Amino acid sequence: MNQKTDKFNRRRARFARSLARSTQTALDELEASPDLPQSMGYFIDIMRDVFVKQDKSLISARLQGGDNKKIIGTYCLMVPEELIYAAGAIPVRLCGGSYEASSMGDELVPRDTCPVVKASVGFHSLDIISLYQMCNAVIVPTTCDAKRKMGEELSKFTEVWMLEAPHIKETEGARRQWLSHIKALKKDIEKLTGKKIRRKALQTSIRMIAGAQYEARRLYEIRKSAAPVIMGREAMLALNAYSYDTAFEWAKAMAGLNDELESRSDNGRAVAGSNAPRMLIAGCPPIFPNWKIPSLIEEMGAVIVADESCMGSRYLYDPIGATEKSMRNMMAGIAARYLMPCVCPSFAPNEDRLFRLLQMVEEFRIDGIIYYVLKGCIIYDFELIRVEKIMKEKNIPVLRIETDYSPEDIEQLRTRVEAFVEMLGTKKSNMNYEL
Amino acid sequence: MMKYYGGIDAGSTYIKAAIVDSNGGIQGCKVAPTGIDCRSTAREMFGKLCDESGLSPSDIPTVISTGYGRRLIDIASENVTEIKAHAAGGIRTAPDGRKIGTIIDIGGQDSKVIIIDEDGETKNFAMNDKCAAGTGRFLEVISRVLKLTVDELGPLSLQAKAPCRINSLCAVFAESEVISLLARGKDRADIIAGIHMSLARRILGMAKRAGVEPDVLLTGGGALNPGLVAAFEDELMMDIYVAENPQLNGAIGAALLGIRNS
Repeated sequence: MNQKTDKFNRRRARFARSLARSTQTALDELEASPDLPQSMGYFIDIMRDVFVKQDKSLISARLQGGDNKKIIGTYCLMVPEELIYAAGAIPVRLCGGSYEASSMGDELVPRDTCPVVKASVGFHSLDIISLYQMCNAVIVPTTCDAKRKMGEELSKFTEVWMLEAPHIKETEGARRQWLSHIKALKKDIEKLTGKKIRRKALQTSIRMIAGAQYEARRLYEIRKSAAPVIMGREAMLALNAYSYDTAFEWAKAMAGLNDELESRSDNGRAVAGSNAPRMLIAGCPPIFPNWKIPSLIEEMGAVIVADESCMGSRYLYDPIGATEKSMRNMMAGIAARYLMPCVCPSFAPNEDRLFRLLQMVEEFRIDGIIYYVLKGCIIYDFELIRVEKIMKEKNIPVLRIETDYSPEDIEQLRTRVEAFVEMLGTKKSNMNYEL
Repeated sequence: MMKYYGGIDAGSTYIKAAIVDSNGGIQGCKVAPTGIDCRSTAREMFGKLCDESGLSPSDIPTVISTGYGRRLIDIASENVTEIKAHAAGGIRTAPDGRKIGTIIDIGGQDSKVIIIDEDGETKNFAMNDKCAAGTGRFLEVISRVLKLTVDELGPLSLQAKAPCRINSLCAVFAESEVISLLARGKDRADIIAGIHMSLARRILGMAKRAGVEPDVLLTGGGALNPGLVAAFEDELMMDIYVAENPQLNGAIGAALLGIRNS
């Protein structure tokens, strides 16, 4: 038994070390940019604490602020964080983006599972980073097949609550059912924290998250500007950092970043030339520290001005609409917010996503789309058929990239991304010339 | 005074170089194995090419590199991707009167399908993923098993009577499939014809997704193989045209881009 634990610990230490190294490399790359906004330091520090230092006390200080608050892990985008905050607990989003963790997960789930699930299972199985150890419970919505089965596997390592999510949102029955699941979840959270969720507390937490959403939307507005003032890989990291921070502190830091970016705009300081293609990443979520694709796109000379994913524009976009502040009304508002605007491809029909993509192409003046498919994610790949069709009508080129977290295909991807960026650049400079 | 432009296509297997004049006329071309140091191979062969064409390197201020090793070529002033170079070259090296809509390039390490518009700009493209299926390497592997050189594959396959069906697209699995066909006493010509069809099918799968538009031009070292060209025609049910110097198409394209940029 002792021998086994020893072996386990050595193995964990090895994984922790290589995770720290690869994350450090990714952060170094970001920090090497002379255009990195100063206010990005806050978000980079969050990532460093979680993945490089892997320091429990730092994470605890940030999340729990010295109190003994419970920490609840969440997956996907359908868990109402408002309820968690209102019960005096702290939510952290656990969807995994680490190559090291995904290779750990390789041994624990079927080969064709997507790397997000592999990495998540890998993190839990080895307790590689303290964040995962610190969770008192983990909520897994039944979105896609892989996430659903992941919940089962995770229950070997931690307390898992499955949250049943509908796959058709247009029916009255599904909405009613969803509301009842959210109400049941509220009870479970109250039981865990031993604290009843009061009207006032819920109202406060809705307002707090609305504050974070406001800043996230502000960042998006700034990224619409004709002269980009922040690289996509930086903006995406700042958004991703919300997963490991409290909504309140994150919103404050994001306000600082937005102010800095607005003053850049005012001073006419751009981070890319007018011929740099404006790229949209759509599809599977790029999750830090796997910054392979965002870095590659921008290294090749494009700027990611928008990212349509559950780690990007969808993360903090829609606020809760509750006109009256009654408990009933707020609960209905929360249930609606976490179901209706969600355009995860686990829903069918999912026409809203196509509509949203067209809107983004227009608003962000997109030149081309990188459609990011993580191996094993059938549902995003399925929707490519429709996305390609509507984008063809709009004359927006789409490049599908299928990959996982491993670095081995980077050279092949580089050639393709470079050719795509070059193609868009030629088109754009011809157009600029004609103008 | 006539101006000259150089193009170097540093491929995975061979380095190709070309010099064109400002009218797009080809002054000289050269092919050499890449070896382990493509930088010095490129410098050396470009020097020789200049000598043969009666020019000095200083007559050619603009040299554009492309191909797998394009960033390593220090004598080049800039570099472009293979996609762009092949698109530019395809228009120039296509047989007279053909309006090229699709370029299929079969290289040593990758294959690409490039759909171009009337102006020769890339409209769409597709490339093989991270394996050897559908590339020149596939043919190299198979030729070794059959104790032939790559050059012998094409002519021999044209003598096939009943091409074998090779089901595997993976170079490694196809190799074992070929070995078992040999063990069953199948004719070499039939096996090679089957290999060519398998390769053509693989690339055309990619091409159809990208949206093939006539006319189709075949470039890259693979286009030197008449058996493969025949297989493409059979599989695509379309006329296939072979570039004038298929192997040099990328280098010529890169050189031509120099004119456009100046």
